Amino acid sequence: MAQPWRVTVNGERRALDDVPDSERLLDTIRWRLGLKGTKEGCRSGECGACTVLVDEVSTLSCLTLAHEVDGASLTTVEGVAHDPVGRSVQDAFARAGALQCGYCTPGFVIALVGLLKERGRAAPTEELLADLSGNLCRCTGYLAIVRAVASLPREDP
Amino acid sequence: MSVSPRPDAGPKLEGAVTFGMDLESPDMLWAALVLSPVARGRLRSVDLAPARALDGVVAVGAADLPALLPGAGDADRPLFPTDTVSYRGQPVAAVAAPTRERAREAARAVRVEVEPSPVVSDLEDVFPEWPGPAADASPHVVAHVRAREGDVDAVVRRADTVVRETYRTSSIHQVALEPHACLAEVKQGIWHVRTSTQTPFGAREDIASLLGVPEGSVVVEGTWVGGGFGGKGSALLEPYALVLAKATGRPVRLALSYREEFQLGRTTLPSVIRMETAVTGGRIVARRVRLLLDVGNSLPGRDFATGYSIGFLLGPYRTPAFEVEGYAVRTNKPPFGPHRAPFAPQCAFALESHLDHVAREAGLDPDEFRAAHLWKEGDSTPLGQPVGPFGLATAFERARAVAARWRAEAAPDRGVGIGVGFWSTNSGAGGEVRVRLAPSGVTVVQGEREIGSGSVLAGVAAVAARCTGLPRDRVTVAYEDTARAPFDSGVFGSRTTAAIGRAVQEASCALFGELRKRLDAPGLVHLALEDDEVVVRSDQRQRPVRELLTEEERAAGGIETSGRHFGKGGAIDERKVEVGTFYPYTDFTGAAHVAEVAVDRGTGTVRVVRYAAFHDVGTVIDPTTALAQVEGGVVMGLGTALTEEALWSDDGRLLNAGLLDYRIPTLGSVPPIDVTFVEGFEGAGPFGAKGLGEPPIIPVPAAVALAVRQATGAHVTELPLSSERVARALKLL
Repeated sequence: MAQPWRVTVNGERRALDDVPDSERLLDTIRWRLGLKGTKEGCRSGECGACTVLVDEVSTLSCLTLAHEVDGASLTTVEGVAHDPVGRSVQDAFARAGALQCGYCTPGFVIALVGLLKERGRAAPTEELLADLSGNLCRCTGYLAIVRAVASLPREDP
Repeated sequence: MSVSPRPDAGPKLEGAVTFGMDLESPDMLWAALVLSPVARGRLRSVDLAPARALDGVVAVGAADLPALLPGAGDADRPLFPTDTVSYRGQPVAAVAAPTRERAREAARAVRVEVEPSPVVSDLEDVFPEWPGPAADASPHVVAHVRAREGDVDAVVRRADTVVRETYRTSSIHQVALEPHACLAEVKQGIWHVRTSTQTPFGAREDIASLLGVPEGSVVVEGTWVGGGFGGKGSALLEPYALVLAKATGRPVRLALSYREEFQLGRTTLPSVIRMETAVTGGRIVARRVRLLLDVGNSLPGRDFATGYSIGFLLGPYRTPAFEVEGYAVRTNKPPFGPHRAPFAPQCAFALESHLDHVAREAGLDPDEFRAAHLWKEGDSTPLGQPVGPFGLATAFERARAVAARWRAEAAPDRGVGIGVGFWSTNSGAGGEVRVRLAPSGVTVVQGEREIGSGSVLAGVAAVAARCTGLPRDRVTVAYEDTARAPFDSGVFGSRTTAAIGRAVQEASCALFGELRKRLDAPGLVHLALEDDEVVVRSDQRQRPVRELLTEEERAAGGIETSGRHFGKGGAIDERKVEVGTFYPYTDFTGAAHVAEVAVDRGTGTVRVVRYAAFHDVGTVIDPTTALAQVEGGVVMGLGTALTEEALWSDDGRLLNAGLLDYRIPTLGSVPPIDVTFVEGFEGAGPFGAKGLGEPPIIPVPAAVALAVRQATGAHVTELPLSSERVARALKLL
């Protein structure tokens, strides 16, 4: 079965007529909306590369059906720069050199933005890092990512 | 340490770069491979009819290949087997369909009938004892190498102390987060494929050979690469996608699922390493090293690992007499694949642990014992290669100073170990670049994609900036596909910045020669920026580049020169070689690492508490990415040391083909790492650079194992040092 699907993505309303019931949110975002910044890694909830925000909550899009988020507001990496928290995370990653191949990067950025929205910018670095540890990176050895998190501005602009 | 953003940071942080997995074409089909369900057997039938019955599905098997590929491909490496299957997951057919789900459904629908034969899963089942003279005739021996110097038996008989040990290492996987993926199209006789690859030209050669088509009819366009680590060299999926594209007349996307990635990606397989060392008067007088390396379904002539990696069991230590012998052993596993510094971390683990043990048995200080035998400039390797400028002994001294301080501070459950390793800056088969000077800046035109290390976009760019004297923001490194770019060997072997950088140097020299002529002024010329525009200056004269361009150059975007680099080979002393081929090393690099560990005395769990790495990389070209390479390499090595182990069942199944069961390091498990570059030992790369991509992983398992030994006395002779293995060594199990 396919049904209509309506969401807000990165601040823009999007409507699709025929999204199958069994389709993963990851595939809808990548192949129907064409937002390829959201990465497909393990496709089984183990790597975090496909993380998106659903109503500001960090969500693994590979384990979520598209129709579970009907009517929600989604943020993907392409929309991160729309808000100051997202921009500060991108700046911190760029300054700290917290990426190499870049395949895990969108997932890390989104997951961190989600944590900052959930816990506030004053959340202790250790807590943020503990909650980020479900995202895998094979290139950096994480240390530059740790430096990026530690360097984030801790007050609202 | 303050760092400047990499040129690719912005687009990657915005999700704006296209990886192989992101490839799409408006009328493309989705593909899937049909994989052998058993590891060994006679192939009775591959029935494609149930797949073909599905709407829009095209299926291709061995029987369809002659019509699709009239040129004979490599007979030793058919795309699909016709009579026997040799490993579980071997592709036996391929399907294309309008959707991903349909393609998967079609692949599942194909009926594969195999009459199973007994599976050879473990190399120790093939050779429970060291192979005798008859082994060369065994169908399981893919390669055999042997070299020697002196009469080892005689020296061993007279020695003060002789130590014999056996080490075992496990199977590890690259775990690049992006699975292999490509998009193929066949149009007007051109086999065109966009793919996530470390070696566009290597893939082109491989594709042409496998399909039996002229190399000139194959075009490989590299995408951004979501991690390589050795797993994305030559061709893997591309030939299958191209055959389906030919059969359907449509673009075809083929990507592995992550489970398939574990199964078919290029795993480094297990080994058994035997070590024997004789000591007299506190000095090594003879060594004998033996390697049995599982190479899975590798074919004779295609095993590079044995003749290359076995050298890491001998050096970086002087020995007057030695014997080295290795066998590449064929089993019913996928073909062996290179994993960052192929097999050197495993060799260093065995060698360092062994020499530490030898020193203890001989009543000597283990660190002092190793230091006394390390190669220095002017030495020769056991196989007769001269050692050039080499900072390993200096790195080791620096590491010893740190270890002494940490040992003095360490709590009782802690231990500190030092591991060393050496590597070679592999130049490959050489290559070429073009350098183009325009009024706005300089562009390096070349054929390698950035795989993440920064070796292309940061390393080559830094060399070009230094060669031309222009600021980094006026340097662009441009990628072109194999039809347009000059040839290069690939991004592997820690070669990229060093090798391509040499070509950039040569092209820059040619550029300045041309500019000198055009400026028509005596003496040196250099480039500078004036009013936002590149100008050519000498002592007496200055002109904007704009005014020095010919009509054609203006149309083409600038003055272009080219430069080459060559594979600079060292040579083995062939008099020492008795059997097989040993490959020489070039431009020695080395590292000494210090690990401090805490070991849980109840469970055997090892935690690395802090870490220091001292590296001789010749001259550091780009400090930001150099630091990043060491950090990332060390952490990858911590996985090899402690948790990573692909497990194979007796019937040749990979038991832990997923990221929950195959454990790579996570953010919470990483210690602080202090990185120091030991400079002053210039390499053959630009400005004295040596390679750095692989060396950081090499000493890690050794450093960790020796730290565990110091903490607990446990002498673990198998990788990884899982809790279970350490607990056994501590007699907890």
